[in-house]
Amino acid sequence: MSVLDNSIEQLAQQVSSGDVSAAQCVDASIAQIRAQNDSLNVMISDCEDAARERAASIDAKIAAGENAGPLAGVPIAIKDGICTAGHVTTAGSKMLENFAPPYDATIVQRLNDAGAICIGKANLDEFAMGSSTENSFFGVTKNPWSTECVAGGSSGGSAAAVASGIAPASIGSDTGGSIRQPASFCGITGIKPTYGRVSRFGLIAFASSLDQIGPMARSAKDCAILMNVLSGHDVKDSTSARNDVPDFAADCEQDIKRLRLGICRQHFEEGLNEEVKASVEEAIKALESLGAETVEIDLPHTKHAVATYYVVAPCEASSNLSRFDGVRYTSREPAEKLIDMYSQTRKVNFGEEVIRRILLGTYSLSSGYDHELYKKASQVRRLIKNDYDAAFEKVDVIVGPTVPTTAFKIGQHAQDPLAMYLADIYTASANLAGVPGISLPCGFSSDGMPIGLQLQSNMFWESTLLKAAHQYQTQTDWHSKRPQS
Amino acid sequence: MNATIDRDSIKFSDAKLIVGLEVHVQLKTDSKLFCGCSTKFGSDPNTQTCPVCTGMPGTLPVLNQKALALSIKTGLALNCEIARYTKWDRKNYFYPDLPKGYQISQFDKPVCGEGFVEVKVPKSDQPSRKIRLERAHLEEDAGKSIHDESGKGGVSRIDLNRTGTPLLEIVTKPNIRSAEEAKAFLTELKQILEYIAVSDCNMQEGSLRCDANVNLHFEIDGETIATPIVEIKNLNSFRAAERAITHESKRQFKQWKKSGESIHDAPKQTRGWDDSAQCTTPQREKEESADYRYFPDPDLIAVIITDEEIETAKNSLGELPASLRTTLQSEYGLNEYDSAVIVSAGRKMVDYFRALADGSGKDGKPNGKMASNWVGQEIMRYLNEHNATIEDYPVSAETLADLLSRIVGGEVDQTRGKEVLAEMLSSGCDVQSAFDKLGIVKVDSGDLDALCQQLIDENPAVIEEIKGGKLKAVGSLIGKARQINPNVNPGVLREAILKIIGI
Amino acid sequence: MSQSHTSAQKIASLARIELTDEESAKVQSEFDSILEYIHQLDEVEIPDGTEPFFGATESTNAVREDAVVPSFDREEILKNAPDSDGEFYRVPPVL
Repeated sequence: MSVLDNSIEQLAQQVSSGDVSAAQCVDASIAQIRAQNDSLNVMISDCEDAARERAASIDAKIAAGENAGPLAGVPIAIKDGICTAGHVTTAGSKMLENFAPPYDATIVQRLNDAGAICIGKANLDEFAMGSSTENSFFGVTKNPWSTECVAGGSSGGSAAAVASGIAPASIGSDTGGSIRQPASFCGITGIKPTYGRVSRFGLIAFASSLDQIGPMARSAKDCAILMNVLSGHDVKDSTSARNDVPDFAADCEQDIKRLRLGICRQHFEEGLNEEVKASVEEAIKALESLGAETVEIDLPHTKHAVATYYVVAPCEASSNLSRFDGVRYTSREPAEKLIDMYSQTRKVNFGEEVIRRILLGTYSLSSGYDHELYKKASQVRRLIKNDYDAAFEKVDVIVGPTVPTTAFKIGQHAQDPLAMYLADIYTASANLAGVPGISLPCGFSSDGMPIGLQLQSNMFWESTLLKAAHQYQTQTDWHSKRPQS
Repeated sequence: MNATIDRDSIKFSDAKLIVGLEVHVQLKTDSKLFCGCSTKFGSDPNTQTCPVCTGMPGTLPVLNQKALALSIKTGLALNCEIARYTKWDRKNYFYPDLPKGYQISQFDKPVCGEGFVEVKVPKSDQPSRKIRLERAHLEEDAGKSIHDESGKGGVSRIDLNRTGTPLLEIVTKPNIRSAEEAKAFLTELKQILEYIAVSDCNMQEGSLRCDANVNLHFEIDGETIATPIVEIKNLNSFRAAERAITHESKRQFKQWKKSGESIHDAPKQTRGWDDSAQCTTPQREKEESADYRYFPDPDLIAVIITDEEIETAKNSLGELPASLRTTLQSEYGLNEYDSAVIVSAGRKMVDYFRALADGSGKDGKPNGKMASNWVGQEIMRYLNEHNATIEDYPVSAETLADLLSRIVGGEVDQTRGKEVLAEMLSSGCDVQSAFDKLGIVKVDSGDLDALCQQLIDENPAVIEEIKGGKLKAVGSLIGKARQINPNVNPGVLREAILKIIGI
Repeated sequence: MSQSHTSAQKIASLARIELTDEESAKVQSEFDSILEYIHQLDEVEIPDGTEPFFGATESTNAVREDAVVPSFDREEILKNAPDSDGEFYRVPPVL
């Protein structure tokens, strides 16, 4: 048994009390990267030297009797779309193959201040655009439960890092389901917080109004501990929320008696895999047995969430990715004239899916083509938000599947971008409305692949999600299953 | 093209000139619009940059409060509607000195809505006109590209120090009717901006930049025919703006006579003003027509402007140039020209003038005309010679008012007064010390009577002439008197002599 | 949507991405199916006065004081540049 098998709370306590050294945690994590990365391709880079230095300074602090923080010595894998000062941050793109930002993301600073150790940078779909991590310039991440399957995406590396035991927790980002879907595929717990709850400063933007950073871990309680560290206002992010941050970990301990669970018919209609459906229904029963009540609700516009998402996200992305132009910090293709340098650099260094979305966004914003599309989609986005507002008048939590299926085979959707986009069908609406959502394991398919349960709540009600998920995990053991390595 | 129109009979004087201006004003903040880098001009290239203003991935903009406050202040000074809800949008285009590939600007909710500037073309008998403003919006400046001018196709170099400097873009309606009026508008605008201290307005340093949209309208058989709109860029002085518009209007007229091309036949073109050749020249068209794909910037949130903020901004404006010119005319009795001269020299000069006129006035009435003469001649000449501003002028308004009062009171005449001022300027002394140094003492009435009697006794022929009606002859007595006593006041002496001889 | 058949190349040039004829044909066909899906939005009934929702936050007024923060060292800023002379970024001629 590895020290990393402990819960985060236990691990940090052991490190703080000196029972386990931070150096041992780093050793265990690095050993696991060595053992797993060749076959799973979870990490784009490790931070071994920096991690050992950090561990030494944490151990010295503890030896001197100082408080090393609530995450003392906890190794954490960080999605490589999040900037780490002085350490190459690629966003999974050839474009940023050699880019070492001179600044940390705000969440990286917060993690450091809490005593956590960044162990390496996890693989992702290029610029977080994808649902399978197949779009990474650095190759596909394989699912620790079956190497024939994808780990999901875009935070596939972050999910697989936790599932494969490389780190007890990781950081992902979620634009249309990019934390929840890979968490579901890899059998772990991951939460997309309320938009604005966690600072986006240092997160390489895909679609700024949808992107949100969040933790991924083995349990809801671990996620809650991380949420305590990640959350809070940041003056560097104008969209960061000024709301008070509760003690998420403490709130987990409350019961869920009389919690009103909304069941949305649209989440159980055609396209939902029968095994997934059965597991989710079973999980709802388990929540009822804990005292929750179920209420039927209607989210009539969520069926348009994917279409809305695939207008809004590419529009913002087409603009966000204009800065990658070969002038200041990216790769560059040589050319005689500026305009050719631009179009060569962007052709060669962006992958196919990124180009597809940039073009789609450019098309949708262009006055010559479909500029009404962006406005229309933004109006539908309002209707989706209104649906949520109405639903949360009646219920505290909306419960349903995270993804219609379990992890699909690598290459299965390679020829059909649209089929891949539909993997976001249950998750994208939370990003559009800004509400939080959590995915947690609730069973396995007959071929042994994890199934995820999604809970969503009103803005800033993460405590309720984490509490419900934690209470469920006190009654079930799906979250403690490990793939055979 | 309308084939039925007989262009041959149309003269240039039949054309109505239509001009709209876009003025970019750099706002006077210490730090940039969306990050903390300094806005100082003239530093070494790329030394005033950071990850935010170089557009590094993951970085985010945070709005500079002062830039917004200065925009509100400007809007109020330009009689604009101030938005209660304002937001920022992205204007997308690629250029190497635009780090993010988009400029953060404002599209549909600018800080300032419609307004106007009252403009009078100098030395013309046209009454003043309101030049209508469309809007004014707050945006970030781009960096600087330095291209290889050798023609050998060398690399371009990029300096991002200026990137992110706050700019207020003021857009007029196509409401300007002549090149002179355009220049007068720009002059008045600059004066207002200087008065409210929102910008350095230094055209050499690029803190004030101007583009002009120009075309011609012809009324033919009750129909308006318009020539294609041309945007003239790179107008780096007000004179250049005036000349470029004049040149462009003539060029468009000739072109239209030749081709008959109207606004419906050609898209907006961009031309540059060549100051050395004194003509506009076509600028290379962009690869595709401008398609900026504006959309709301999701990294920034809207700003609500409250009544209190607007009230505070209003109270900080001070009296504006137009109102000051009126005040100088109505309260100080100046003519239009003199009031314009003083107001155009800046708020400090107006303050100086008012202190001078008030301090040297009599019976609660300011000494406007005389103060204006002294300011316009003595002080302005000194400031020009010394390349100084009124704040550097060595003689305070109070001191100079003392001197002017003594001139008014007859202690000293204007000519000697100027000698006194020269003495004060060179030695830094006060009026009385200068009088003492120059030996100026007030001639009392006994001395004056004696002097008059002496002059009358010694110059009987002149006295006869005066009595015969040739009053001018008194002048020769005054000359003689000043040889006897240089302090004698010519006006007073003249009156005394005439009184004694009974005229 | 048939519009896209003529537009992929133009859109690509607007986005500064070079596409070969073959690539643009592929993009066009993918666009067709994606846009067909997206245009389901045309059927959504939008009640009058529905304000577009552009950002997931509708709070307002995030501003900072006008205070100068020291800039980064030029070396640090230019370090990641594909071409610089130590003072300036360098790019191929614009024209």
